[in-house]
Amino acid sequence: MRTRNAGKELLVKQRAMEMLVADGFEGFSVNKLAKACDISVATLYIYYKDKDDLITKIGMEEGKYMTSVVFRDFDPEMSFAEGLRKQWENRFAWMMQKPTSSLFLESLRSSSYGETVFKCMTDNFKEMMEQFTKNAVRRGEINKMSLEAFWATAFAPLYTLVRFHNEGRSIGGKPFTMSSKVLWETFDVVLKGLAK
Amino acid sequence: MEQNLQHILVFKTNIKTEADRQTVKKLLDNHACIRQWNVDLHDIDCVLRIVSPRLSTAEAIALVNRHGYECSELL
Repeated sequence: MRTRNAGKELLVKQRAMEMLVADGFEGFSVNKLAKACDISVATLYIYYKDKDDLITKIGMEEGKYMTSVVFRDFDPEMSFAEGLRKQWENRFAWMMQKPTSSLFLESLRSSSYGETVFKCMTDNFKEMMEQFTKNAVRRGEINKMSLEAFWATAFAPLYTLVRFHNEGRSIGGKPFTMSSKVLWETFDVVLKGLAK
Repeated sequence: MEQNLQHILVFKTNIKTEADRQTVKKLLDNHACIRQWNVDLHDIDCVLRIVSPRLSTAEAIALVNRHGYECSELL
């Protein structure tokens, strides 16, 4: 009798993401994953149709989880400063808690799987963030701007800091570890730059 | 959609190319007992995966063998 084993499923997901992040999509195969997890190839094929199905399913699950963390306790009706702070807090917490997942989703974004995986996430994301920025513009908290300009200003600095942290180095190879001081000091500058 | 895990059969085959896949396609698409199937052409074992509530492992192997392809249970 075949039964689902939650512990094994978690191991498979984690190893798959690690392998995909380290070696890329081309070199990855279900066979290699089975060996790395010390389980039979057949077991993996019971759960997933093929390599593409496996990558897409794991991507969707991780994406769904990320969305739930990013929007935890967030309300588009919040004041701009409060809402953006919550977004930073949640995004930072997720990237620290799930570094592999975060790198995996980042590499999926530019891959052929990106469209399928992110299609189901972006609608919800866009709607929430559009509502949030619309409210901020209406209340005169920020100027109206393109989505790209907003994102590049509001979140890219956070992602740069996390990248430095993950690499353990910042500019010119200087050793770097993230601290809440650096996080919120950067946030304050971002907020100042966006606020009217 | 959650599938009944007991209904999934997986095999190692030599269905290696798209042309091979097309050859078995007709046979598997039209089989009354087969609900869904696919071959992972990227995998070293060319895994054939069949979803069928009724087909037995031996029947599936015989079916594929009859059309000139190797097929054995993937363990």
